[in-house]
Order: sequence, then structure tokens, then C-alpha cells
Amino acid sequence: MTDVIPTDGRTLGRCICIITGASKGFGRALAHQVCCWLKPGSVLLLVARSETLLQELKEELKGFAVEQQLLVNCIVADLSTQKGVNEAVRVARLESEKENDHVLLINNAASLGDISQFSSFTDLDVVNSYMSLNISSALVLTAGMLQVFPRRPGLRWTVVNLSSVFATEALPSWVLYCTAKAARKMMFSVLAVGEPNVRVLSYSPGPLDTGMQKDILRMTGVDNHPFPCKDSAVKLMKLLLDDDFASGTHIDFFSV
Amino acid sequence: MSSTELTRTDLGRALCIITGASRGFGRTVAREMSRLVKPGSALVLAARSADDLRALKVELAESEAGRAGLVVECVVADLGEVGGLESVVRASEEAFSEHMDHIILFNNAASLGDVSRYTQSFTNMAEVDSYLSLNVSSSLCLTARVLQAFPQRPGVRRTVVNISSLCALQPFRSWVLYCTGKAARDMMFKVLAEEEPDLRVLNYAPGPLDTAMQTEARFRTADPSLRKSYLDMFAQSQLLSCETSCAKLTKLLLEDTYTSGAHVDFYEL
Repeated sequence: MTDVIPTDGRTLGRCICIITGASKGFGRALAHQVCCWLKPGSVLLLVARSETLLQELKEELKGFAVEQQLLVNCIVADLSTQKGVNEAVRVARLESEKENDHVLLINNAASLGDISQFSSFTDLDVVNSYMSLNISSALVLTAGMLQVFPRRPGLRWTVVNLSSVFATEALPSWVLYCTAKAARKMMFSVLAVGEPNVRVLSYSPGPLDTGMQKDILRMTGVDNHPFPCKDSAVKLMKLLLDDDFASGTHIDFFSV
Repeated sequence: MSSTELTRTDLGRALCIITGASRGFGRTVAREMSRLVKPGSALVLAARSADDLRALKVELAESEAGRAGLVVECVVADLGEVGGLESVVRASEEAFSEHMDHIILFNNAASLGDVSRYTQSFTNMAEVDSYLSLNVSSSLCLTARVLQAFPQRPGVRRTVVNISSLCALQPFRSWVLYCTGKAARDMMFKVLAEEEPDLRVLNYAPGPLDTAMQTEARFRTADPSLRKSYLDMFAQSQLLSCETSCAKLTKLLLEDTYTSGAHVDFYEL
């Protein structure tokens, strides 16, 4: 357990926690961190495309799961497809009969896209495919989960949008990524103003030591001095446990 | 421009490409542009409605500019579809001539999305994908194609306008698709402005216009207080005519002093 977060008995409750893009990078680190704060009887649903990596992760969490009486399930799904989203929602629905006091949905799955001159993006299918995974998928999954777990007294609802400094800062050659992150930031802001009983947080995790960051280095030659995912995951946990952020707000790692 | 900062009174011998040109703001932009471009210019007007485009073409042909030789090409196209973009670019390449000194692209075509539903109802990926295809992807790909077709060259200015909205900056209940699309577009064009310092890029928010889109907003918005505010605007004659808003856009383009990539709202001017 970490000693960065005050251990004053706060938890994430008897929670259904869904993490997308859970097999690698930040999603995987989050899975490890979140386990520390789930009360017995909680369910952790790990969504990704890779069955192998998800099973490995589940294995890693086995000790925790047993110790803290958590149910950890893997959902192998491609969230860029309706079928994949439906599958994730279907499995989550199976869990909705249980007595939970918190639904925590972490929209983390994303892709970098091609980093290239604006004028190179002439292929509508390529751009549509990118926007589908990085924008549509998060909306459709969130909507599906909101429907499966209707708001009711005694049920906390938290949605996290994994964002980026590039949701607000334009960077040459990064049109796909910036556009999608800006879109998501607004999308989750609209959710926040429309659903006062859902706590919505856009979290920009900082430059992380992940496969995505390696791709960035390879494609651009830029070293962003990434740090371990765990450090950022711990901060996100603090934000969720403190639970005093204004719904719809956008918070950066460096400001916590 | 001279050092005495005289504002231009025209937009040069221009190739002017306007999407969503058959009605609403796009049609007004087409009419305004026809008056502001010098002889030897061409307008490429894209929309889905062949009838409305034809009527506009006839109207422009009979105008002073039309009688002076303004070329007007209509392209019936659905920009959300792959083929649609190509036909607009082809028509633009055909309409271009070597003595033109200004290329202006107006990314105006857009849709409201279903504002009668709240965020949690958007469970259909195809609906969201289709919305983003028209409202986000198509403006990226069309702009990219136009920039490729008309690369930077001495003596030719290039201007890209994105018709934006207050919704690009502020979230509105039951307007998730529209707000998301407008926020996406503003960022997209900011990135373009950062990448290409020789390009003039403007995110112009025209204000609440008296158009078919506004009518749709007024009648279909799910959120009661938002719908009421649209009804009130209409009842109190606070909607802007397209001409009023276009006049400000024109002023911005002629003065040409806006910061490239900036979001400029009608009400700021």
C-alpha cells in the first residue's frame, strides 16, 4: 500500500469499477492502485483487447483479490466496435444485481494516432476510425454504463476521462490526438452539466512511461521525461478519495 | 498591405470554397463573397441539395458579379462520405486559375445532432460515428486535401475559416454531439494554425443565427431551460440575421489582423 494517500478509512466503497485499456500502461497501473481502495464485495472489470495480457494482470491481482474479497473479471473487447461496447456493458449488467454503493468508470483506452502534418490527413476512413475509438467509444460506453446502473439514492457514480494537456494545448503534427482529447474534454463537461448526480473528472496524467510514450519518442524524437504510471495513478486515487473536485473539471497531474 | 494599414476593400482574385452553401449561413457567405471578390474569381459551392444549389447559382449568375464573369461551380456532395470530399476538391482544382491570388476555404457545413436526448442516451456507435464523420473528420480531410491541392506559393494568400460556436467553449445540457464536434473543430484548426504560420486560420463563432438549425434547436432541445432561452431569443427578436453576422466575418477577413487560430465570437466585435 502507498503512504502518499492518508489512510483515514476513506475508500471507494463497495464498488463496481470498470477500467478500459486495462492491459497495459496507465490502465494496468490503475488496476493495481484501485484494488487498494475497494471494499470487500467490490467488482473490478478490466477491459482490453488482449486476453493474454488481461489474464496476466488478473493473475498479478489474485493475492489482493483474495485478501480483500474482490471479484476481478476480464472483458476481452474491442471498444472501437458496437459489439465490443455491448459486451462490456453486458458483463457489467450481470454485476448490477449486487449491492453496490459506487460505480466507477475509468475511460482510459485510447490511441496516439499518426503524428504527421495536418495536410497528410486526407483519408476520411483513417480519420473516422481514429475518432471512433477515441471519441465515440468513450461516449457510447459511458452512456451504456449509465443506463445499466441508473442513478438512485445510495449509489455514487463517478466517471473519469483520461485526458491530456493536449486537450487544451495545440501541438503541430498532433491534430488527431489534440482533436480527440479536446472533444472528450467537452463531451464529459456536457455529461457533467447534464447529470448532477454523476461526478465527472477529466484527469491529465502527465507524460507516462508507457508504450504510447515510446511511440511518441520514436515518431517525434521528443523525450518528454516520462515518469512511472504508478506515480500518476496514486494521484488519481487521491483525487477520487478526496472526492472534492468540481464535477466536469479538468485536472492535471502537476497541479495535484 | 501598406504600412499605413489601409484595410482591403476586396478579397482579391479568389477561389472561394464554401461547404453547406445551399442555405443558412453558408448561402449568405456565398452571396457576400460574390460581392467581395474581384473579377476573375470563382466560387465552389458544396451542399447536398441540388435544387437549392442550382437556385443559388442562378441568383449569383444574375447578380452584378455574375454578369461581370464570376464563375460559380456547384458540387452536390455529402461531405460525410468519402466520394463527397473528392468531388469538392476536383471542382476546386478545375475552377482555379493561375492569376488567382487568394484561396479561401469556409468549413461551414454542419449538423446539430439529436438535441432531444441527453448524453446517456447515445448508446449507438453508428450514430455518433456518423455525426463525427460529417462534423469533425470531413472538415479535417477537406482542409487537408485543399491545402495539398493548393500548396503555399508566392503571391497567393490562403485562408481557412471554421464556422465555430459558443458551444465550442461552453457545455450545454442535451447538446453533447454539437458541443463535442465544435470543441473538436476549434482545436483542429488551432493545430493547423500552429503548424502553418503562413496560413490564415479563423475560428469564427457567428452568434445565434435565424436559420433552420436554430429552429431545430428551438423546437427539439430536451433541456427545458435551454429550450426556453432559445424560445425567448426568438420571441424577443434577438436572433441575428445571417447577413448581420456575415458582415462581421467579412470585416475580420478584410482587416486580416486576427490572430491565426483564434476563436472570435460575433459578440466580441
